[in-house]
Amino acid sequence: MRLLKTLIPSDIAAGLALTGKYFGKVFLSANRKKVRAHLKHFTQEYPEIPVRLAPRFRGRLTLLKDEQGEIKCVCCLACEKICPTEVITIEKGKKEGRKMPFPVRYDFEMERCIFCEFCVESCGFDSIILNHQFELATYNREDFSLGMEGDGQNMFVPSPVGKYSVAED
Amino acid sequence: MFKNEEMEINLGPQHPSTHGVLRVKLRLDGETVVKCTPIIGYLHRGVEKICENKTFFQGQVWTDRMDYVAAISNNLGWAEGVEKLFGIEVPRRARYIRTMLTEMNRLASHLLWLATHALDIGAMTVFLYTFREREYLLDLFEAFCGARLTTTAFRIGGLREDLPPGFIKQAQAFQGIFLDCLEEYETLLSENRIWKKRTVGVAKISAEDCIALGVTGPVLRAAGVPYDIRKAFPSAAYAEMDFEIPTRPEADTYARYLVRLAEMRQSHRIIQQCIDGLPEGPVMAKIPKILKSEVNEVYHSIEAPKGELGYYFVGEKGGTTPYRMHVRAPSFVNMQALSKMVEGRLLADVIAAIGTLDVVLGEIDR
Repeated sequence: MRLLKTLIPSDIAAGLALTGKYFGKVFLSANRKKVRAHLKHFTQEYPEIPVRLAPRFRGRLTLLKDEQGEIKCVCCLACEKICPTEVITIEKGKKEGRKMPFPVRYDFEMERCIFCEFCVESCGFDSIILNHQFELATYNREDFSLGMEGDGQNMFVPSPVGKYSVAED
Repeated sequence: MFKNEEMEINLGPQHPSTHGVLRVKLRLDGETVVKCTPIIGYLHRGVEKICENKTFFQGQVWTDRMDYVAAISNNLGWAEGVEKLFGIEVPRRARYIRTMLTEMNRLASHLLWLATHALDIGAMTVFLYTFREREYLLDLFEAFCGARLTTTAFRIGGLREDLPPGFIKQAQAFQGIFLDCLEEYETLLSENRIWKKRTVGVAKISAEDCIALGVTGPVLRAAGVPYDIRKAFPSAAYAEMDFEIPTRPEADTYARYLVRLAEMRQSHRIIQQCIDGLPEGPVMAKIPKILKSEVNEVYHSIEAPKGELGYYFVGEKGGTTPYRMHVRAPSFVNMQALSKMVEGRLLADVIAAIGTLDVVLGEIDR
Protein backbone atom coordinates (compact mmCIF):
# COMPACT_ATOMS: atom_id res chain seq x y z
CA MET A 1 0.00 0.00 0.00
CA ARG A 2 2.79 2.34 0.96
CA LEU A 3 4.73 1.39 -2.15
CA LEU A 4 1.65 1.95 -4.27
CA LYS A 5 1.24 5.40 -2.74
CA THR A 6 4.84 6.22 -3.53
CA LEU A 7 4.56 5.02 -7.10
CA ILE A 8 1.31 6.80 -7.94
CA PRO A 9 1.80 10.51 -7.25
CA SER A 10 -1.88 11.33 -6.68
CA ASP A 11 -1.06 14.18 -4.28
CA ILE A 12 1.09 15.97 -6.83
CA ALA A 13 -1.46 15.27 -9.55
CA ALA A 14 -4.18 16.96 -7.46
CA GLY A 15 -2.03 20.05 -7.06
CA LEU A 16 -1.14 20.12 -10.74
CA ALA A 17 -4.81 19.76 -11.67
CA LEU A 18 -5.61 22.87 -9.64
CA THR A 19 -2.86 24.97 -11.18
CA GLY A 20 -3.84 23.53 -14.57
CA LYS A 21 -7.40 24.71 -14.03
CA TYR A 22 -6.26 28.30 -13.52
CA PHE A 23 -3.76 28.05 -16.35
CA GLY A 24 -6.50 26.84 -18.67
CA LYS A 25 -8.78 29.71 -17.67
CA VAL A 26 -6.10 32.25 -18.53
CA PHE A 27 -4.85 30.45 -21.62
CA LEU A 28 -8.24 29.99 -23.24
CA SER A 29 -9.37 33.52 -22.65
CA ALA A 30 -6.08 35.31 -23.41
CA ASN A 31 -6.48 38.29 -25.73
CA ARG A 32 -10.12 37.49 -26.37
CA LYS A 33 -11.93 38.78 -23.36
CA LYS A 34 -11.08 39.73 -19.81
CA VAL A 35 -9.99 36.78 -17.72
CA ARG A 36 -12.71 35.88 -15.27
CA ALA A 37 -11.09 34.88 -12.04
CA HIS A 38 -13.47 33.52 -9.45
CA LEU A 39 -13.21 36.67 -7.36
CA LYS A 40 -12.48 39.82 -9.27
CA HIS A 41 -9.47 41.43 -10.81
CA PHE A 42 -6.73 42.49 -8.51
CA THR A 43 -3.93 43.06 -10.93
CA GLN A 44 -4.37 46.44 -12.57
CA GLU A 45 -2.56 47.96 -15.51
CA TYR A 46 -1.62 50.78 -13.22
CA PRO A 47 0.14 53.57 -15.10
CA GLU A 48 -2.07 53.16 -18.18
CA ILE A 49 -5.33 52.73 -16.31
CA PRO A 50 -5.95 54.99 -13.29
CA VAL A 51 -6.26 53.28 -9.93
CA ARG A 52 -9.62 53.26 -8.19
CA LEU A 53 -9.37 54.23 -4.55
CA ALA A 54 -11.88 53.96 -1.75
CA PRO A 55 -13.66 57.22 -0.83
CA ARG A 56 -12.02 57.21 2.59
CA PHE A 57 -8.49 56.85 1.20
CA ARG A 58 -5.98 58.88 3.17
CA GLY A 59 -3.69 60.86 0.90
CA ARG A 60 -1.98 64.26 1.14
CA LEU A 61 -3.21 67.01 3.46
CA THR A 62 -5.07 69.82 1.66
CA LEU A 63 -6.37 73.19 2.84
CA LEU A 64 -9.89 73.98 1.68
CA LYS A 65 -11.40 77.29 0.57
CA ASP A 66 -15.04 78.30 0.81
CA GLU A 67 -17.22 79.63 -2.04
CA GLN A 68 -15.76 83.12 -1.86
CA GLY A 69 -12.24 81.78 -2.20
CA GLU A 70 -11.45 82.44 1.45
CA ILE A 71 -9.35 79.99 3.40
CA LYS A 72 -11.65 78.13 5.78
CA CYS A 73 -8.96 77.65 8.45
CA VAL A 74 -9.42 79.85 11.52
CA CYS A 75 -6.17 78.94 13.33
CA CYS A 76 -7.64 77.04 16.25
CA LEU A 77 -4.43 74.96 16.25
CA ALA A 78 -6.33 71.73 16.99
CA CYS A 79 -4.58 69.92 14.14
CA GLU A 80 -1.20 71.17 15.25
CA LYS A 81 -1.81 69.84 18.75
CA ILE A 82 -3.20 66.42 17.82
CA CYS A 83 -0.59 65.59 15.15
CA PRO A 84 1.46 62.63 16.43
CA THR A 85 4.52 63.52 14.36
CA GLU A 86 4.24 67.32 14.65
CA VAL A 87 4.28 68.09 10.96
CA ILE A 88 1.91 71.10 10.97
CA THR A 89 3.01 74.64 11.88
CA ILE A 90 0.48 77.45 11.80
CA GLU A 91 1.13 81.19 12.23
CA LYS A 92 -1.84 83.27 13.27
CA GLY A 93 -2.51 86.60 11.62
CA LYS A 94 -5.15 89.20 10.73
CA LYS A 95 -6.62 90.08 7.38
CA GLU A 96 -8.64 93.11 6.32
CA GLY A 97 -12.37 92.46 6.32
CA ARG A 98 -12.21 89.10 8.05
CA LYS A 99 -13.53 88.54 11.52
CA MET A 100 -11.87 85.23 12.23
CA PRO A 101 -8.09 84.77 12.53
CA PHE A 102 -6.33 84.06 9.30
CA PRO A 103 -3.39 81.66 8.82
CA VAL A 104 -0.43 83.68 7.59
CA ARG A 105 1.59 80.52 7.37
CA TYR A 106 0.38 76.93 7.21
CA ASP A 107 3.41 74.69 6.84
CA PHE A 108 3.19 70.98 6.31
CA GLU A 109 6.27 68.76 6.42
CA MET A 110 5.15 65.86 4.26
CA GLU A 111 8.29 63.79 4.73
CA ARG A 112 7.30 63.08 8.33
CA CYS A 113 3.55 62.77 7.79
CA ILE A 114 2.13 59.31 8.51
CA PHE A 115 -1.33 59.94 7.00
CA CYS A 116 -3.31 59.00 10.10
CA GLU A 117 -6.07 61.59 9.52
CA PHE A 118 -6.11 62.71 13.16
CA CYS A 119 -5.83 66.34 12.01
CA VAL A 120 -8.91 66.13 9.80
CA GLU A 121 -10.81 64.47 12.63
CA SER A 122 -9.86 67.18 15.11
CA CYS A 123 -10.81 70.05 12.79
CA GLY A 124 -14.10 71.59 13.91
CA PHE A 125 -14.45 73.81 10.81
CA ASP A 126 -14.02 71.19 8.05
CA SER A 127 -11.19 73.26 6.66
CA ILE A 128 -8.74 70.46 5.87
CA ILE A 129 -9.04 67.08 4.16
CA LEU A 130 -6.72 64.31 3.13
CA ASN A 131 -7.12 64.09 -0.64
CA HIS A 132 -6.72 61.01 -2.81
CA GLN A 133 -3.26 61.79 -4.07
CA PHE A 134 -0.67 59.11 -3.44
CA GLU A 135 2.04 59.77 -6.03
CA LEU A 136 3.99 62.06 -3.79
CA ALA A 137 7.59 61.33 -4.74
CA THR A 138 9.75 64.27 -5.77
CA TYR A 139 13.39 64.77 -6.67
CA ASN A 140 14.23 67.34 -4.00
CA ARG A 141 13.84 67.14 -0.29
CA GLU A 142 12.62 70.75 -0.16
CA ASP A 143 9.59 69.82 -2.23
CA PHE A 144 8.18 67.89 0.71
CA SER A 145 7.82 71.09 2.74
CA LEU A 146 4.47 72.36 1.55
CA GLY A 147 3.23 75.84 2.31
CA MET A 148 0.54 78.20 1.14
CA GLU A 149 2.82 79.48 -1.66
CA GLY A 150 4.79 77.57 -4.22
CA ASP A 151 3.92 76.68 -7.77
CA GLY A 152 4.66 72.94 -7.84
CA GLN A 153 2.67 71.38 -5.04
CA ASN A 154 1.05 73.62 -2.52
CA MET A 155 -1.51 73.09 0.17
CA PHE A 156 -4.47 74.01 -2.02
CA VAL A 157 -4.15 71.50 -4.83
CA PRO A 158 -7.25 69.35 -4.39
CA SER A 159 -7.70 65.77 -5.44
CA PRO A 160 -7.29 64.27 -7.95
CA VAL A 161 -4.12 65.93 -9.05
CA GLY A 162 -2.18 62.78 -9.77
CA LYS A 163 -2.44 61.65 -13.35
CA TYR A 164 -3.02 58.11 -12.28
CA SER A 165 -5.47 58.13 -9.40
CA VAL A 166 -9.23 58.46 -9.42
CA ALA A 167 -11.43 58.89 -6.38
CA GLU A 168 -14.37 56.55 -6.17
CA ASP A 169 -16.88 58.97 -4.66
CA MET B 1 44.59 16.94 5.61
CA PHE B 2 41.00 17.91 6.37
CA LYS B 3 40.22 19.04 9.85
CA ASN B 4 36.90 18.31 11.47
CA GLU B 5 35.80 21.53 13.11
CA GLU B 6 32.67 23.51 13.78
CA MET B 7 31.83 26.52 11.69
CA GLU B 8 29.94 29.68 12.57
CA ILE B 9 27.72 31.35 9.98
CA ASN B 10 25.23 34.18 9.91
CA LEU B 11 21.73 33.64 8.58
CA GLY B 12 20.50 37.12 7.78
CA PRO B 13 19.93 39.99 8.47
CA GLN B 14 19.37 40.26 4.72
CA HIS B 15 18.42 36.66 4.12
CA PRO B 16 15.11 36.53 2.23
CA SER B 17 13.54 33.87 4.43
CA THR B 18 14.17 35.48 7.80
CA HIS B 19 11.10 37.70 7.25
CA GLY B 20 12.74 41.00 7.93
CA VAL B 21 15.98 41.91 9.60
CA LEU B 22 16.47 38.89 11.82
CA ARG B 23 20.03 37.69 12.18
CA VAL B 24 20.56 34.13 13.37
CA LYS B 25 24.07 33.13 14.40
CA LEU B 26 24.44 29.42 13.73
CA ARG B 27 27.19 27.10 14.89
CA LEU B 28 27.32 24.22 12.44
CA ASP B 29 28.86 20.81 12.53
CA GLY B 30 28.64 19.86 8.88
CA GLU B 31 25.00 20.53 8.21
CA THR B 32 23.80 19.97 11.77
CA VAL B 33 23.03 22.98 13.92
CA VAL B 34 24.94 22.84 17.19
CA LYS B 35 23.95 26.22 18.55
CA CYS B 36 21.49 28.81 17.36
CA THR B 37 21.44 32.40 18.63
CA PRO B 38 18.89 34.85 17.26
CA ILE B 39 20.20 38.42 17.27
CA ILE B 40 17.58 41.15 17.17
CA GLY B 41 17.45 44.91 17.33
CA TYR B 42 18.00 45.99 13.74
CA LEU B 43 14.53 47.56 13.55
CA HIS B 44 14.45 49.12 17.00
CA ARG B 45 12.61 52.45 17.04
CA GLY B 46 11.88 52.86 20.74
CA VAL B 47 8.11 52.75 20.45
CA GLU B 48 7.63 52.28 24.20
CA LYS B 49 9.67 55.39 24.99
CA ILE B 50 8.01 57.46 22.25
CA CYS B 51 4.59 56.57 23.63
CA GLU B 52 5.53 58.03 27.01
CA ASN B 53 5.69 61.44 25.34
CA LYS B 54 2.51 61.11 23.30
CA THR B 55 -1.06 61.40 24.52
CA PHE B 56 -3.32 58.36 24.80
CA PHE B 57 -4.95 59.33 21.49
CA GLN B 58 -1.71 59.83 19.59
CA GLY B 59 0.05 56.68 20.72
CA GLN B 60 -2.17 54.44 18.64
CA VAL B 61 -0.39 55.29 15.38
CA TRP B 62 2.77 53.60 16.66
CA THR B 63 0.96 50.35 17.30
CA ASP B 64 0.23 50.07 13.57
CA ARG B 65 3.92 50.00 12.91
CA MET B 66 4.80 47.25 15.33
CA ASP B 67 3.11 44.22 13.81
CA TYR B 68 2.43 45.70 10.41
CA VAL B 69 0.72 42.63 8.97
CA ALA B 70 -1.82 42.60 11.80
CA ALA B 71 -2.16 46.31 12.53
CA ILE B 72 -5.84 46.11 13.50
CA SER B 73 -5.13 43.60 16.28
CA ASN B 74 -2.52 45.99 17.64
CA ASN B 75 -5.00 48.87 17.45
CA LEU B 76 -7.55 46.78 19.35
CA GLY B 77 -5.07 46.06 22.14
CA TRP B 78 -4.13 49.73 22.50
CA ALA B 79 -7.72 51.01 22.38
CA GLU B 80 -9.05 48.46 24.84
CA GLY B 81 -6.11 48.92 27.18
CA VAL B 82 -6.68 52.68 27.37
CA GLU B 83 -10.42 52.14 27.76
CA LYS B 84 -9.73 49.81 30.66
CA LEU B 85 -7.46 52.41 32.26
CA PHE B 86 -10.16 55.08 32.09
CA GLY B 87 -13.19 52.81 32.56
CA ILE B 88 -14.80 53.72 29.24
CA GLU B 89 -17.74 51.61 28.06
CA VAL B 90 -17.76 50.97 24.31
CA PRO B 91 -21.12 50.73 22.44
CA ARG B 92 -22.18 47.25 21.40
CA ARG B 93 -22.16 47.98 17.67
CA ALA B 94 -18.60 49.28 17.88
CA ARG B 95 -17.54 46.12 19.70
CA TYR B 96 -19.06 43.95 16.98
CA ILE B 97 -17.36 45.89 14.19
CA ARG B 98 -14.07 45.72 16.09
CA THR B 99 -14.40 41.96 16.42
CA MET B 100 -15.21 41.56 12.75
CA LEU B 101 -12.26 43.66 11.59
CA THR B 102 -9.86 41.96 14.00
CA GLU B 103 -10.87 38.55 12.69
CA MET B 104 -10.46 39.75 9.10
CA ASN B 105 -7.01 40.92 10.09
CA ARG B 106 -6.29 37.50 11.56
CA LEU B 107 -7.20 35.99 8.21
CA ALA B 108 -4.97 38.47 6.39
CA SER B 109 -2.08 37.75 8.74
CA HIS B 110 -2.46 33.97 8.48
CA LEU B 111 -2.73 34.20 4.69
CA LEU B 112 0.53 36.14 4.58
CA TRP B 113 2.09 33.60 6.92
CA LEU B 114 0.96 30.70 4.72
CA ALA B 115 2.26 32.46 1.62
CA THR B 116 5.72 33.24 2.94
CA HIS B 117 6.11 30.00 4.85
CA ALA B 118 5.26 27.96 1.78
CA LEU B 119 7.54 30.14 -0.34
CA ASP B 120 10.44 29.55 2.04
CA ILE B 121 9.95 25.81 1.90
CA GLY B 122 9.55 25.81 -1.87
CA ALA B 123 5.87 25.98 -2.81
CA MET B 124 5.49 29.02 -5.04
CA THR B 125 1.87 28.67 -6.16
CA VAL B 126 0.32 29.07 -2.72
CA PHE B 127 1.95 32.47 -2.41
CA LEU B 128 0.07 33.79 -5.43
CA TYR B 129 -3.25 32.27 -4.36
CA THR B 130 -3.20 33.53 -0.78
CA PHE B 131 -2.17 37.03 -1.81
CA ARG B 132 -5.17 37.13 -4.10
CA GLU B 133 -7.52 36.62 -1.14
CA ARG B 134 -5.49 38.89 1.12
CA GLU B 135 -5.91 41.67 -1.42
CA TYR B 136 -9.65 41.35 -0.99
CA LEU B 137 -9.33 41.87 2.76
CA LEU B 138 -6.96 44.81 2.34
CA ASP B 139 -9.51 46.45 0.03
CA LEU B 140 -12.08 46.05 2.80
CA PHE B 141 -9.71 47.75 5.26
CA GLU B 142 -9.15 50.56 2.79
CA ALA B 143 -12.90 51.00 2.43
CA PHE B 144 -13.32 51.11 6.21
CA CYS B 145 -10.47 53.32 7.35
CA GLY B 146 -8.62 54.57 4.29
CA ALA B 147 -5.38 52.65 4.59
CA ARG B 148 -4.39 49.11 3.79
CA LEU B 149 -1.59 48.36 6.23
CA THR B 150 -1.12 51.18 8.73
CA THR B 151 -4.80 51.27 9.50
CA THR B 152 -5.25 53.27 12.75
CA ALA B 153 -8.70 51.72 12.59
CA PHE B 154 -10.15 52.31 16.06
CA ARG B 155 -10.47 55.25 18.42
CA ILE B 156 -10.53 55.41 22.19
CA GLY B 157 -14.21 54.87 23.01
CA GLY B 158 -15.31 53.21 19.79
CA LEU B 159 -14.82 53.89 16.12
CA ARG B 160 -14.31 57.06 14.16
CA GLU B 161 -17.01 56.28 11.60
CA ASP B 162 -19.56 53.59 10.97
CA LEU B 163 -19.05 51.00 8.25
CA PRO B 164 -19.05 52.53 4.76
CA PRO B 165 -21.99 51.72 2.45
CA GLY B 166 -21.45 48.45 0.61
CA PHE B 167 -19.01 47.09 3.18
CA ILE B 168 -21.29 44.30 4.40
CA LYS B 169 -22.06 43.26 0.82
CA GLN B 170 -18.37 43.06 -0.03
CA ALA B 171 -17.64 41.16 3.17
CA GLN B 172 -20.43 38.70 2.36
CA ALA B 173 -18.93 38.16 -1.10
CA PHE B 174 -15.61 37.37 0.52
CA GLN B 175 -17.27 35.04 3.03
CA GLY B 176 -18.91 33.20 0.14
CA ILE B 177 -15.68 32.31 -1.64
CA PHE B 178 -13.20 32.00 1.21
CA LEU B 179 -13.89 28.41 2.25
CA ASP B 180 -13.38 27.24 -1.33
CA CYS B 181 -10.09 29.09 -1.39
CA LEU B 182 -8.99 27.35 1.81
CA GLU B 183 -9.73 24.03 0.16
CA GLU B 184 -7.52 25.06 -2.76
CA TYR B 185 -4.59 25.67 -0.42
CA GLU B 186 -5.21 22.32 1.20
CA THR B 187 -5.25 20.62 -2.19
CA LEU B 188 -1.86 22.12 -2.91
CA LEU B 189 -0.25 21.47 0.45
CA SER B 190 -1.92 19.13 2.94
CA GLU B 191 -1.23 15.86 1.14
CA ASN B 192 1.70 17.05 -0.93
CA ARG B 193 4.61 14.69 -0.29
CA ILE B 194 7.30 17.39 -0.60
CA TRP B 195 5.46 19.63 1.85
CA LYS B 196 5.05 16.75 4.30
CA LYS B 197 8.71 15.77 4.04
CA ARG B 198 9.71 19.32 4.91
CA THR B 199 7.25 19.78 7.77
CA VAL B 200 6.24 16.54 9.50
CA GLY B 201 8.34 16.05 12.61
CA VAL B 202 10.35 19.21 11.98
CA ALA B 203 10.99 21.84 14.69
CA LYS B 204 9.23 20.04 17.51
CA ILE B 205 8.73 21.73 20.85
CA SER B 206 6.85 20.16 23.72
CA ALA B 207 3.98 21.76 25.62
CA GLU B 208 6.11 21.97 28.79
CA ASP B 209 8.84 23.88 26.95
CA CYS B 210 6.24 26.17 25.37
CA ILE B 211 4.77 27.06 28.75
CA ALA B 212 8.19 27.46 30.35
CA LEU B 213 9.29 29.86 27.62
CA GLY B 214 5.99 31.74 27.56
CA VAL B 215 5.20 30.79 23.99
CA THR B 216 1.58 31.51 23.06
CA GLY B 217 -0.65 31.46 20.04
CA PRO B 218 -0.83 28.75 17.36
CA VAL B 219 2.57 27.36 18.41
CA LEU B 220 1.22 26.57 21.88
CA ARG B 221 -2.08 25.26 20.54
CA ALA B 222 -0.27 22.96 18.12
CA ALA B 223 1.40 21.44 21.18
CA GLY B 224 -2.00 20.47 22.55
CA VAL B 225 -2.72 23.28 25.00
CA PRO B 226 -6.13 24.84 24.33
CA TYR B 227 -5.21 28.35 25.51
CA ASP B 228 -6.76 31.26 23.69
CA ILE B 229 -7.18 34.77 25.15
CA ARG B 230 -10.42 35.13 23.22
CA LYS B 231 -11.89 32.38 25.43
CA ALA B 232 -9.85 32.84 28.58
CA PHE B 233 -10.26 36.63 28.95
CA PRO B 234 -12.82 37.63 26.32
CA SER B 235 -12.81 41.26 25.24
CA ALA B 236 -14.61 43.12 22.42
CA ALA B 237 -17.57 40.89 21.46
CA TYR B 238 -15.80 37.54 21.75
CA ALA B 239 -17.90 36.50 24.74
CA GLU B 240 -20.99 36.47 22.52
CA MET B 241 -19.35 34.50 19.70
CA ASP B 242 -19.52 30.78 19.16
CA PHE B 243 -16.19 29.30 18.09
CA GLU B 244 -13.77 26.54 18.96
CA ILE B 245 -10.08 26.45 19.80
CA PRO B 246 -8.35 24.11 17.34
CA THR B 247 -5.51 22.08 18.83
CA ARG B 248 -3.17 19.33 17.65
CA PRO B 249 -1.03 17.00 19.77
CA GLU B 250 1.98 16.60 17.42
CA ALA B 251 3.73 19.94 18.12
CA ASP B 252 5.61 19.96 14.81
CA THR B 253 5.57 22.32 11.82
CA TYR B 254 2.85 20.36 10.07
CA ALA B 255 0.61 20.50 13.15
CA ARG B 256 1.05 24.29 13.30
CA TYR B 257 0.05 24.50 9.66
CA LEU B 258 -3.11 22.50 10.38
CA VAL B 259 -3.92 24.56 13.47
CA ARG B 260 -3.60 27.83 11.59
CA LEU B 261 -5.81 26.56 8.76
CA ALA B 262 -8.41 25.44 11.31
CA GLU B 263 -8.14 28.87 12.96
CA MET B 264 -8.91 30.51 9.65
CA ARG B 265 -12.11 28.46 9.50
CA GLN B 266 -13.04 29.62 13.01
CA SER B 267 -12.31 33.25 12.08
CA HIS B 268 -14.57 32.81 9.08
CA ARG B 269 -17.30 31.62 11.46
CA ILE B 270 -16.82 34.60 13.79
CA ILE B 271 -16.98 37.09 10.89
CA GLN B 272 -20.22 35.47 9.74
CA GLN B 273 -21.71 35.75 13.22
CA CYS B 274 -20.68 39.42 13.40
CA ILE B 275 -22.31 40.16 10.05
CA ASP B 276 -25.50 38.31 10.96
CA GLY B 277 -25.85 39.73 14.45
CA LEU B 278 -24.60 43.28 13.86
CA PRO B 279 -26.62 45.45 16.27
CA GLU B 280 -27.82 48.97 15.52
CA GLY B 281 -26.76 51.96 17.54
CA PRO B 282 -23.96 54.47 17.98
CA VAL B 283 -20.33 53.54 17.37
CA MET B 284 -18.69 56.09 19.67
CA ALA B 285 -18.98 56.53 23.42
CA LYS B 286 -18.98 59.98 24.99
CA ILE B 287 -15.43 60.66 26.12
CA PRO B 288 -13.71 63.87 27.24
CA LYS B 289 -11.48 65.73 24.80
CA ILE B 290 -8.47 65.36 27.08
CA LEU B 291 -7.96 62.14 29.02
CA LYS B 292 -6.26 62.70 32.37
CA SER B 293 -5.20 59.60 34.22
CA GLU B 294 -4.96 58.83 37.91
CA VAL B 295 -2.25 56.80 39.59
CA ASN B 296 -3.26 53.50 38.13
CA GLU B 297 -1.92 50.58 36.19
CA VAL B 298 -3.56 48.25 33.74
CA TYR B 299 -2.53 45.18 31.80
CA HIS B 300 -4.72 44.22 28.91
CA SER B 301 -4.04 41.39 26.51
CA ILE B 302 -5.76 40.20 23.37
CA GLU B 303 -5.24 37.25 21.07
CA ALA B 304 -3.22 38.61 18.17
CA PRO B 305 -2.65 36.28 15.18
CA LYS B 306 0.78 35.45 16.60
CA GLY B 307 -0.13 34.94 20.23
CA GLU B 308 -0.83 36.93 23.34
CA LEU B 309 -0.41 40.63 22.69
CA GLY B 310 -0.43 42.58 25.93
CA TYR B 311 -0.35 46.30 26.67
CA TYR B 312 0.74 47.50 30.07
CA PHE B 313 -0.09 51.08 31.02
CA VAL B 314 0.99 52.99 34.08
CA GLY B 315 -0.78 56.30 34.66
CA GLU B 316 0.36 59.21 36.82
CA LYS B 317 -1.85 61.77 38.50
CA GLY B 318 -3.21 64.27 36.00
CA GLY B 319 -1.06 62.90 33.22
CA THR B 320 -2.25 63.09 29.64
CA THR B 321 0.43 60.62 28.56
CA PRO B 322 1.19 57.15 29.93
CA TYR B 323 3.86 57.26 32.62
CA ARG B 324 5.12 53.96 31.28
CA MET B 325 3.90 51.81 28.41
CA HIS B 326 5.09 48.29 27.82
CA VAL B 327 4.17 45.86 25.07
CA ARG B 328 4.25 42.12 25.50
CA ALA B 329 4.86 41.28 21.86
CA PRO B 330 4.02 37.69 20.89
CA SER B 331 6.71 37.43 18.21
CA PHE B 332 9.39 38.54 20.67
CA VAL B 333 8.47 35.87 23.20
CA ASN B 334 7.89 33.15 20.61
CA MET B 335 11.33 33.85 19.13
CA GLN B 336 12.87 32.26 22.24
CA ALA B 337 11.60 28.89 21.11
CA LEU B 338 13.76 28.98 17.95
CA SER B 339 16.96 27.64 19.54
CA LYS B 340 15.05 24.83 21.27
CA MET B 341 13.40 23.90 17.98
CA VAL B 342 16.44 23.69 15.75
CA GLU B 343 19.43 22.68 17.87
CA GLY B 344 20.60 19.24 16.81
CA ARG B 345 18.71 19.38 13.53
CA LEU B 346 19.62 20.27 9.97
CA LEU B 347 20.29 23.75 8.62
CA ALA B 348 17.32 23.56 6.24
CA ASP B 349 15.00 23.08 9.21
CA VAL B 350 15.98 26.51 10.55
CA ILE B 351 14.17 28.10 7.61
CA ALA B 352 11.07 26.02 8.30
CA ALA B 353 11.26 26.87 12.03
CA ILE B 354 11.51 30.63 11.43
CA GLY B 355 8.58 30.37 9.05
CA THR B 356 6.43 28.34 11.39
CA LEU B 357 6.96 30.73 14.31
CA ASP B 358 5.41 33.49 12.16
CA VAL B 359 7.62 36.28 13.46
CA VAL B 360 7.34 39.90 12.42
CA LEU B 361 10.49 41.85 13.12
CA GLY B 362 8.69 45.16 13.53
CA GLU B 363 7.07 43.68 16.59
CA ILE B 364 10.17 41.97 17.97
CA ASP B 365 12.31 45.10 17.93
CA ARG B 366 9.53 47.67 18.45
